[in-house]
Amino acid sequence: MAKSAEQWSARPNFPQTHYVDSRIYTDREIFGEEKEKLFKPSWIIACHESELPNPCDYRLFTHPAGVPLIIVRGDDAKVRAFYNICPHRGNTILYDPSGNAKRMTCIFHQWSFDTRGNCLDISRAEQGYQNRFSKEDAGMREVKCEVAYGGFVWVNLLDECMPLREFIGGAMDILEPFMQEPMEIFHFHKAHLRTNYKLWHDTNSEFYHDFLHYFNRITGMMQPGYFDRKYTAYPNGHATVGSMQIQYDKYEGSKERAVGWPGLARGGWYMVDLFPGMTYNLRTSVMRIDTAIPLGPNEVVIEFRGLGLKRDTPEERAQRIFDHNMIWGPFGRNLHEDLLGVTGQGRAMREGTDSRWVIQGREENNTIHDEIGMRHFYAEWSRRMERPAYDPYREGKPEPVRAVA
Amino acid sequence: MNRTEQRQAVEELVYRSCLTLDNKDWKGFLALCDDDFRYHITAYSPEIRRDMTWLEQDKKGMDTLLTNLPRHNSDHSPITRHATVYTVELDEAKGEAAVVSALQVFRTQLDGGGSELFAVGRFYDTVKLNGSGPRLAKRIVKLETRQLGYGYHVPF
Ligand code: FES
Ligand SMILES: [Fe+2]
Repeated sequence: MAKSAEQWSARPNFPQTHYVDSRIYTDREIFGEEKEKLFKPSWIIACHESELPNPCDYRLFTHPAGVPLIIVRGDDAKVRAFYNICPHRGNTILYDPSGNAKRMTCIFHQWSFDTRGNCLDISRAEQGYQNRFSKEDAGMREVKCEVAYGGFVWVNLLDECMPLREFIGGAMDILEPFMQEPMEIFHFHKAHLRTNYKLWHDTNSEFYHDFLHYFNRITGMMQPGYFDRKYTAYPNGHATVGSMQIQYDKYEGSKERAVGWPGLARGGWYMVDLFPGMTYNLRTSVMRIDTAIPLGPNEVVIEFRGLGLKRDTPEERAQRIFDHNMIWGPFGRNLHEDLLGVTGQGRAMREGTDSRWVIQGREENNTIHDEIGMRHFYAEWSRRMERPAYDPYREGKPEPVRAVA
Repeated sequence: MNRTEQRQAVEELVYRSCLTLDNKDWKGFLALCDDDFRYHITAYSPEIRRDMTWLEQDKKGMDTLLTNLPRHNSDHSPITRHATVYTVELDEAKGEAAVVSALQVFRTQLDGGGSELFAVGRFYDTVKLNGSGPRLAKRIVKLETRQLGYGYHVPF
């Protein structure tokens, strides 16, 4: 039966853990708090080591909390991260998204810095500052930085932060066996979308939207064992999904999958969703990494990376690229569908539309179409935000809760 | 055909390829292509400082991709391709022409009909000249634009 206004606003008949108030996707106040409470203290993937192969190579990254960063491989080969903000009068130090800079020189008044964040030179220092200020006082702001979990460069903005290993916990154990060899990036693109970043992470945290994808409807879902794949929840809001075999040949136009991935069964698939907005996705012959960079409650940039193995022959690499493009490229079969879906959510749930609730109520013994992945994310979200996702402004009255069959 | 006529025929082929694709006349587009046709979308990423391939198909692959379109959930806003042929280099010995065209792709919203620039780039075409008329042997769509929002299913 269609709903009246009152029925539409009424809380869903699910346990409070099984739905969220859609204002968590639209409210500016909540968004501001998320940057402070979720993104700032989290370890975030800034780029991959193969984007900085040589000493003094750098790469710019806008941290989801808003801070512009420079990731640079030092003259000593160590990867470090700094604010891309000049300590003098706040100009941007490096403008191009990547490059090689033995000396990073601010274009404004030509203060220059080395790859370890030391100020090398202040123009006409003595004349202007006499003995009051020198290059020793003008270092760059360094940010915690580690290369780990498949050669990715992780950053954390807090001086006193939880160690990366502790933040990840056991969530990457499922992928460790497949990340023993050095990887290399071959694909990068950004998608700028009008939607909330959590909706993208939700898409990556549930497989029920198999129904969105023609490809999935005719491949994975048809296979025996598909619905046995299980979600595993880890501390700090992370979750993983185990493997399956994909019958690519069921999709016309798919080539014989010859390259594979060391240790991975043909057609295997592993996913690791990391709080608050990153996903590792290893499927058949390609590692894909998504990093969400929210710009506002209804605006996000997602960085997509595709990686192969560093030791690939040109033929192997070409096959990986083909596999990647088929499903995950900007013109790929599934990525456009996923991005369209999440944009549609952004459109229906933007401020003022009278969207009210998002139901995450599927229980199927933690298997592939169970919505446990999302529920687990919002449990952590609620804990860190000190606001229940089902009642972010604590307006809810106590109510009888119906048990789910 | 003299050189002027040949150049004219080559230009018309490029423009017809845009028209057929704009009109979703997939068969019409494929009819302009040689049997050994190869289609690529590429882009250079200044972020990772690498050339990337975003799509690569042969004629059969293009046929499958285009035929499967109605089965997918796609953005239905039409796009229009605007090409300007810059250079045509005829290689009489090979019976081929190397053609460089500027490309602009616009997308028009179904609701309200607002048009916006979707992508800019170039076509690098190899055109076969022997036989009944010029045929596309290879097309490399080299995109300058890499920010495509939620993307698109139909090749440019
Ligand atoms: S702002 Fe950078 S040198 Fe002045
Ligand atoms: Fe998907």
